[in-house]
Amino acid sequence: MSVYVLPVLFLALFVYCIFKRINTYDHFVKGAKGAIQLVIDIFPFVASILIAVALLRVSGITDFVARLLSPVFGWFGIPPEVCELVLLRPFTGSGSYGILENIFETYGVDSFVSRCACVMMGCSETIFYVATVYISQTKVKRLFYAIPVALACSFVGTIVACLLCRFM
Amino acid sequence: MMLSSVLVLLITNPGAMLTEMIGASASALNLCIELCAVYAVWLGIIELVDASGLGEKLSKLLRPLIKKLFRVEDEKTQKLIAMNVSANILGIGNAATPMGIKAMQALDDKRGKANFAMIMLIVVNATSIQLLPTTVVGLRASAGSANPADIIFPTIIATFCTTLLGISLVLFIDKILRKRKKLA
Repeated sequence: MSVYVLPVLFLALFVYCIFKRINTYDHFVKGAKGAIQLVIDIFPFVASILIAVALLRVSGITDFVARLLSPVFGWFGIPPEVCELVLLRPFTGSGSYGILENIFETYGVDSFVSRCACVMMGCSETIFYVATVYISQTKVKRLFYAIPVALACSFVGTIVACLLCRFM
Repeated sequence: MMLSSVLVLLITNPGAMLTEMIGASASALNLCIELCAVYAVWLGIIELVDASGLGEKLSKLLRPLIKKLFRVEDEKTQKLIAMNVSANILGIGNAATPMGIKAMQALDDKRGKANFAMIMLIVVNATSIQLLPTTVVGLRASAGSANPADIIFPTIIATFCTTLLGISLVLFIDKILRKRKKLA
């Protein structure tokens, strides 16, 4: 079902553009041109955050913090096996998908742990990445309470995710 | 963050540091090339949506909500936010990002501080409502799950909770901050 959503939307858009007598090709080219500049503008920020995450991981700090926090997480009903994922999810999208696949391999795709991890992935975002990229093209240096609020929501989302997986 | 990592590495594994950093930078470059391809498609589509007047209609539809939630009066900004939010709901996060960046630029008041609308936009994006967790379902299927789609329903409930909580928290904090300002 869901595979049809985008093609149908695109088709409708193209037909609508023809109907409105708009030069589809020219406008598409004009929009696509902006992609290169945008990527050049955000690259330094993406690179910096990925480097920081790589250093955190290879230095073993995340591992250490995950072990330290696992009892606390357990108290909230979050299985200790997903601790590392919970910690790294706000920083890196591709990295957290790597960890997710690791969890699949270790505990089996349909295990409780894996399903918790999946639901948790679905309801959270790469908060630091999003925030860095979004403000990278503005003059803003401080975000006030945006990050703490987003992190708190993510954490609550993780708790809800694990709770739901117990029943569903 | 970087400092503490480097400090620990100095003791545990000094040889790995530079390779790791360059490796991460290389994967950032790869990611950006991939993003460039994705953005080219989506920015092209967005330009069409915009030129055909559909963007206008969409933002008109969502305007009351956006006006209330983000307290933005400027129509161009409203349109950008409308497209960003709808892309998020459709689960095409990659299409949401370029519009989010543009909306942020439009919201920026050049004072170096994030204003209410910017914070709201970040929180809404960071707790993104996602109706179709396509990537996770795909990963589950390729890992041989018996029922890869059975996480969709709990995911929708959980994502709804986080977004609702995020919005109310931002509204709540903003209210407190303003009260304090009034008193002071």
